[in-house]
Amino acid sequence: MDLIHPMDKLEVAKALRQATADRKRLLVVGGRTHVDKGEPCEVDAELWTTQLDGLVAYEPAEMIAVVEAGMRVGELDRILWDGGQEWPCDAPPRATVGGVIAAAATSPRRLRVGPIRDTVIEMEVVTGDGRLVRSGARTVKSVTGYDLHKLMTGSLGTLGVIVQVALKVRPRPRSRRSVRVAGGLEVGRRLLDAVPGPTAVLAMPEVVELRLEGWPEETERQVEATDRVAPVTVVTEEGAFPFERPWEASAVIAEAAVPPSRLAEFLTRPFHDLPGPHLGSWGALLGVGIAWVGLSSSDGDLEALRTRARALGGIAPVVKGPGGLGNDVPPGLDVHRRLKASFDPAGVLAPGRFWGGI
Amino acid sequence: MADVDAARRELEEALGTTEVLSDPLALTLYARDAAMVEGGCALVAFPHTVEDVVACMQVAARHALPVVPRGSGTGLAGGATPIGDALVVVTSKMDRILEVRPEDRLAWVEPGVLNLDLANAVAPLGFTYAPDPSSQQTCSIGGNVNTNAGGPHCLAYGVTSSHVLAVDVVLPDGTVERFGSEAPEAPGYDLRGILIGSEGTLGIVVGACVRLTPEPPAVRTMLLDFSAVKDCAATVSSIIAGGVVPAAVEMMDHGIIVAAESFAHAGYPTDAAAVLLVEVDGLPEAVEAQSRAVENAARDHGVRTIRVAADDAERALLWKGRKSAFGAVAQIAPHYHLHDCVVPRSKLVDVLAGVYEIAGRHDIIVTNVFHAGDGNLHPLLSFDRRIPGTLERVLSASEQIVRLCVNNGGSLSGEHGIGLEKRDFMPLMFSEVDLGAQACVRAAFDPEGRMNPHKVLPAGARCGDFAMARGTDAAQAAQSIPEGSWI
Repeated sequence: MDLIHPMDKLEVAKALRQATADRKRLLVVGGRTHVDKGEPCEVDAELWTTQLDGLVAYEPAEMIAVVEAGMRVGELDRILWDGGQEWPCDAPPRATVGGVIAAAATSPRRLRVGPIRDTVIEMEVVTGDGRLVRSGARTVKSVTGYDLHKLMTGSLGTLGVIVQVALKVRPRPRSRRSVRVAGGLEVGRRLLDAVPGPTAVLAMPEVVELRLEGWPEETERQVEATDRVAPVTVVTEEGAFPFERPWEASAVIAEAAVPPSRLAEFLTRPFHDLPGPHLGSWGALLGVGIAWVGLSSSDGDLEALRTRARALGGIAPVVKGPGGLGNDVPPGLDVHRRLKASFDPAGVLAPGRFWGGI
Repeated sequence: MADVDAARRELEEALGTTEVLSDPLALTLYARDAAMVEGGCALVAFPHTVEDVVACMQVAARHALPVVPRGSGTGLAGGATPIGDALVVVTSKMDRILEVRPEDRLAWVEPGVLNLDLANAVAPLGFTYAPDPSSQQTCSIGGNVNTNAGGPHCLAYGVTSSHVLAVDVVLPDGTVERFGSEAPEAPGYDLRGILIGSEGTLGIVVGACVRLTPEPPAVRTMLLDFSAVKDCAATVSSIIAGGVVPAAVEMMDHGIIVAAESFAHAGYPTDAAAVLLVEVDGLPEAVEAQSRAVENAARDHGVRTIRVAADDAERALLWKGRKSAFGAVAQIAPHYHLHDCVVPRSKLVDVLAGVYEIAGRHDIIVTNVFHAGDGNLHPLLSFDRRIPGTLERVLSASEQIVRLCVNNGGSLSGEHGIGLEKRDFMPLMFSEVDLGAQACVRAAFDPEGRMNPHKVLPAGARCGDFAMARGTDAAQAAQSIPEGSWI
């Protein structure tokens, strides 16, 4: 496996032009934390973005940070900390900003902070044939043509190499508490209704963890509201959220997405229907519709899980281990193919890695 | 030349004769939206169902007619202004709220549902639809989707794109697709995200799944009154820099205050140079804390008075003045031209000074009422275009204002879109390569280039340099605007 290690965006463009000329297939790699997401695909080389790690601009009063895509999330966190702000992706510190965006990784705090796509306001990307293209603007609102950055977010590096982004960041809440209570999905559902404005309600088989953020008086009241539903067993200030992610011990993790009200159905019925006893643990983001499910392998259990997700109007791609995305066909397949042909005409960017064989 | 008569007969057969118009009055009425530009069209259709829209697309495809989708026609950039032999597809009769599902915090609506009707329909359930353009009494969700509409409360809650989970779309070839999902993720590229803000150039939105936002437990609305515009603008930056993001921060200058007050009688201070309308929401504790922070920032910048709405009625009155401002300016002059540039918040003071200077130099009355928290300016040029030479001065001042904003790191449009009016300014922001890539996205949805031609991209933008050349020459030919289309 060849390694391409560009130092700046012009070198990325040069590498892509060369790859297109040579029909050399590339996998774009950042911090390798989300690299398992995607269908298996054969490539001739890896292109590492990790040298593109500069801070381009950061004005806390604008609530916008412009960074090169290979910057590590941990480094960005440190920079924003000094400005009293955060980019709420909650990815591992060694993940790169570009990788988090290309994988459209979900924050456990998505209930409050939204999907990652809403935080990307400007992007520079190098297309498969080596063109440097910019879209969006460094303003919090902009309706100026087609938002290519939306297309690139979650594209798993199959349309271009993200080289720079402007991110909408948010003030770091003055008070941030993590709370744990005993219970499962049903207790979680009651908490979602009873606690005003939680940042996250994460239900697991035996416990529910909440993230509460805001002004100190506000989180105080949220803790009280939680305690009225179920006795609070642990509260931490400024601690990590979640306390632990037991599903991460499994060999395979699927990240299922279903309409929020179908989570309980999704998580309780499959365990009765599915063959094999080793589904492992899970964590479900109530009010969001994301469930991380640990599996011991990517064979029968995964397929059964996907069948269930599909029946409920959802999907269940794997985010760790083997198993790929699943065989759901994206709507507008012709549009997808034309986009791929436009942005990566020689098909050098991880061919076959994306949904629909793209 | 397209066979318009044959197309009309086929449309009448599919939709019924009452739902297809081609008389001179109708064609004149639908030749423009709320922008200054005027075009022309061949046919106007009023579909009631998805099948009707499919029929419109199929007929248009058979007869090579351009298709221009239209909601309520409140757009200010000419995005729904048809050109040439276009078929205008008006979605205002598709106006049903199909489903409201509180347990998933979503609703399915047809494109013709009016923004305020949706917000009112979900209010009894304790929810709201957060994007609230000032035209919310008349603008439709379909139009909101196509312009990625904003509104005062987008400061804290985000623009339309953050509130639309899925869209049902009829593509130019007549196929119907759902992009996005009720689930938080869907397979494929984010075509939902591309479609939102695409100004009717990729397909016709026939349904939208919108996110409902719980009404905050407490709200406080404040009117801050300043004797200098620069102090008012500086207060905005100070509030945000202090780590507080209010639900809304709206600014009105003296001219708007006077016009809005004589219309809405909201008790605005007519001797103020500028006011800020600030709203904070959340738990009562958070409202209290945010209010303190806002008041402190305002005092640091010499605020004269701080008026806090005592109840819902007073709150509604304060907002009424703001939301009726664009109507109220009719008292100043019969015509207005409204801009929509966005600048970094820290540049607000300088750019506002520049806007007044440009207007003064062109001898045009300018007033400002805008989403200050977002840096989204709305300089409003008032004039009487019956006076010879006035329009030329307005257009010249407009161009200079746009350049001023872009030169200060800003964007051409925050929420109104590019349409016809600003397409030739696109090269101020984007290179030829950038615009070529955008043209590729458009061609991927609409290879024949029949969807809302002439809009968004300047005539020079082409996908041809990219691999896909198919259809681009025809599309290119269709992008040149016929003589006489402009006012």
